[in-house]
Amino acid sequence: MIVTPEVSWISILPELVLAIGAAAVLLIDVQYKPVTRVLGGVAAFTLFVATIFTWLQWVQVGDVSVSGVFGALGELVVFSGMIVMDGYAVFGRFALLLMAALGIAAGWKLLESLNRRGAEAIALILLATAGFSIMVASNNLVMMFLGLEVGSISLYILAGLTREKAMADEAAMKYFLLGSFASAIFVYGVALLYAGTGQFEILAIRQFFSDFVVTSPAVVMIGLGLIIVGLGFKVSAAPFHSWAPDVYQGAPAGVVGYMAAMAKIAGFLAIARILLTGVPQLEDSWLPVMAGLSALSMLVGSIVALVQSDIRRMLAYSGVAHAGFIMTGIVGGATTGMLFYVAVYALQLIGSFAVVAVVSGPGSSGSAIDEYRGLGRRSPALAMAFTVLLLGMAGLPLTSGFIAKFGVFSEAWANGFEWLVIVALLASVVAFGFYLRVIVAMYMDETEAEEVVVSAVARWVLAIAVVGTVLMGILPAPLIDFAANAFPL
Amino acid sequence: MLTWLILLPVIAAAIVALVPRRLKELHLPLGIALSVLPLALAGYVFWVFEPVAGYQFVEQATWYEPWGISWSLGIDGISIPMVLLTVILVPIALAASTSITRRTKEFVVYALLLEAGMIGVFLSLDLFLFFVFFEAILIPMYFIIGIWGSDRRVYAAMKFFIYTAFGSALMLAGIIALAVTHADQFGTTSFALSDLMNVELSVGAERWIFAAFALAFAIKVPLFPLHTWLPDAHTEAPTAGSVLLAGVLLKLGTYGLLRFNLSLFPETSVDAAWIMGILAVIGIIYGAVVAIVQPDLKKLVAYSSVSHLGFIVLGTFALTSGGLQGAVIQNVNHGLITGALFLLVGMIYERRHTKQISEFGGLQKVMPIYAGFFLFMVFASIGLPGLSGFVGEFLILVSSFTTLPILAVIAASGVVLAAIYLLWAYERVFTGVPDKENLGLSDLSVREISLLAPLAILVLVIGLYPNILLDKIAPSTESVLDHIEQQTEYVVPVPGRLSDVFVADGDHE
Repeated sequence: MIVTPEVSWISILPELVLAIGAAAVLLIDVQYKPVTRVLGGVAAFTLFVATIFTWLQWVQVGDVSVSGVFGALGELVVFSGMIVMDGYAVFGRFALLLMAALGIAAGWKLLESLNRRGAEAIALILLATAGFSIMVASNNLVMMFLGLEVGSISLYILAGLTREKAMADEAAMKYFLLGSFASAIFVYGVALLYAGTGQFEILAIRQFFSDFVVTSPAVVMIGLGLIIVGLGFKVSAAPFHSWAPDVYQGAPAGVVGYMAAMAKIAGFLAIARILLTGVPQLEDSWLPVMAGLSALSMLVGSIVALVQSDIRRMLAYSGVAHAGFIMTGIVGGATTGMLFYVAVYALQLIGSFAVVAVVSGPGSSGSAIDEYRGLGRRSPALAMAFTVLLLGMAGLPLTSGFIAKFGVFSEAWANGFEWLVIVALLASVVAFGFYLRVIVAMYMDETEAEEVVVSAVARWVLAIAVVGTVLMGILPAPLIDFAANAFPL
Repeated sequence: MLTWLILLPVIAAAIVALVPRRLKELHLPLGIALSVLPLALAGYVFWVFEPVAGYQFVEQATWYEPWGISWSLGIDGISIPMVLLTVILVPIALAASTSITRRTKEFVVYALLLEAGMIGVFLSLDLFLFFVFFEAILIPMYFIIGIWGSDRRVYAAMKFFIYTAFGSALMLAGIIALAVTHADQFGTTSFALSDLMNVELSVGAERWIFAAFALAFAIKVPLFPLHTWLPDAHTEAPTAGSVLLAGVLLKLGTYGLLRFNLSLFPETSVDAAWIMGILAVIGIIYGAVVAIVQPDLKKLVAYSSVSHLGFIVLGTFALTSGGLQGAVIQNVNHGLITGALFLLVGMIYERRHTKQISEFGGLQKVMPIYAGFFLFMVFASIGLPGLSGFVGEFLILVSSFTTLPILAVIAASGVVLAAIYLLWAYERVFTGVPDKENLGLSDLSVREISLLAPLAILVLVIGLYPNILLDKIAPSTESVLDHIEQQTEYVVPVPGRLSDVFVADGDHE
């Protein structure tokens, strides 16, 4: 372990900017009481600056990983081993920042309608982004926990933004209680791992396992298991998914997509970093566990989603299935496919919930599939966009979802988990069933309901999500290359 | 050139999509006019196509290097008849869709996209690309059945989609397995058909992957007992949907078996030939018997497809020159004949709004031209010498007799059964005294005749001079057999290898 004494500001500049931006939003709101639009501008500027700094990080990471092999590692592990500056963290940051921008845009109607509380919501979105961003960049498990909590607590509050509604209240409460429970489990896991290895730092833990053979690994194993459970909860992998349908259903439509996308990105990047960089030597123990969780998530998610009558619960269960698909990438022992999958899925998720927010209203709780009947006639463009996103999540060719599935499945197959790939493929066929149900409702059912008005901001979000989904399905090379270069240290 | 063959329908679809909704009279004629362009281009390709083995007009562009996937197209004697069939049937199917008045624009767009996908499947030389097209065509077909179908359309569309998607999911596992094995053996990942043909598979692995591919294609064909989606899809689909479904989509299955199963898994193909043969023969007999008792004219034609496609699979796994040639040419024939039969059923349905055989009677007195076309196609379907159906079935039966004699004998009875169900149906619908409801029916209009006439002419031309196709098919099917002989101990039996039944001149052998 190489410890650098000097402070490497560049490694945390994006998070600093985000935190300052959040504070600025709150202060400006208190001092000047501007219209929400101004605060949105501040948030956009913050995200823009954070993106530029992230890009600078990428330049520097590329420089170091090209020039020096292991000797240069010291420049990348900074703040006494707390933060690691690798391509992996940069990829995660880019994804999180993009989703934050899209999330604010998708929920814009909601944020405006909240009046004074809009400022809080914007600040919380920026804070959550900062927290999750630190989480994907931490080399230290305690640091990771701090990031996780900053992010999660912001999300709990966001879930209850429209707390006048009983459903939103219930969603926030459930999310908070179960979420804190999961965080506690995660911390307990970290503690046990520390008890077993004497290390908090992921790279040091790897060093520990390559230096020593652990004869009675029970403590380490239990610790690792608890970490998987805690993070599995955050990404709503089965059997830790039971909160997701209720929260997705109850929370205001405008922020659900953001919440779900953020938790998935950060959660999976953290799981993969711990397992693949921290304890690759224990592969034989955790690979079967992850494979089992993956298979269970895919099956439970796909099958239970079939019988949902509320589109948000359906998307929640489909999210459980997707958690399973993404885990096949981790079981494949590589991060390329997983990173690609997480990024494109997060985009589809935000896009889908943007549609939900348009159709059901931004502050609404619950959206029955019946609300979508005849949408193909009422609002052809909106229905077409939703269709592309649903087909993308279903993984049909010419969409990013297919490339993503193909990537993780190939990795898992090459790593010897043929059975898991076959289960995954069958689960994706089952999943066609519920995605198609929505398409059936939109195109093959008639209704008397009226045209849905799509605001300009929502149009932009949908355009980006749809173009991204199709483009990454036809020309995926740049993003896959990026993901392949963005490996964790 | 081949890229344009795929792009033209896509561009046509885009043009139609850009025409505003209020000019709704324009969409269908525009779509028909634009769909003639791929036909012209494919005609040109056919004209300059050299009757030699190997792929022609090959195009290759790397798609994503590290994954070894590429936009790799080529055409040979096996795929060129299929492409021609597609580009011929699409304009006809569109022109037969004047009864579609609801959301015409979307209909035309989906039909054109479907055309692009089908051409793409036949031209792909890269398994990844092939899979992309194979799966992508599900979406337009799903919409065509689901939006413009009859009462139980949503159910039928869903069943069609899930069945096919199930098959292709397992095929995707097979494709991944092949590519991973290739990467192990050669160090590079590749999805090119020519590369994957060199992969050395263990016997067990080859059987499993063969099964995965065969299952996907057997669902598409469909082979007994995986056929149950077909009658539903056909009965509910609009006429154009049925024409394209029977004419081209089912051929993706028989084409896939011939192109991929035989070439990629020669050992298993030889070993499993009898299993596939038995399934094919069960399909022939079962389809025919069920067709006899159908009260619904469209269902009858649908089940006759199950029966006829059994012949094609039997010919493929006869593993003889005549069998393969017969399979390819029968693909074309079945597309033309069954396409025409579905058009005919659609025309009578537009007049009477029923497809129940018992509702009709004595139509040949009221609609003589219609009856004439119907009888012509019925005879072609039964396999009357001089019409195209005869060429394919005869080739298949003769050559499968050399390798799978018992199955060939049983299959031959399928021809007799075809005569029973088709002629009996003809008798019930067209002979006798027309009742009051049927008396008022008008005969075919000029437009309808102009749709059927090209198909009838093609059926006659291929029936009288099959070499127009066989000349170009034979070298490619021979090279498939050569590959099988190289890879296995199997020797194509001499009478089966002579390919002397129709290609007697032997110029190109």
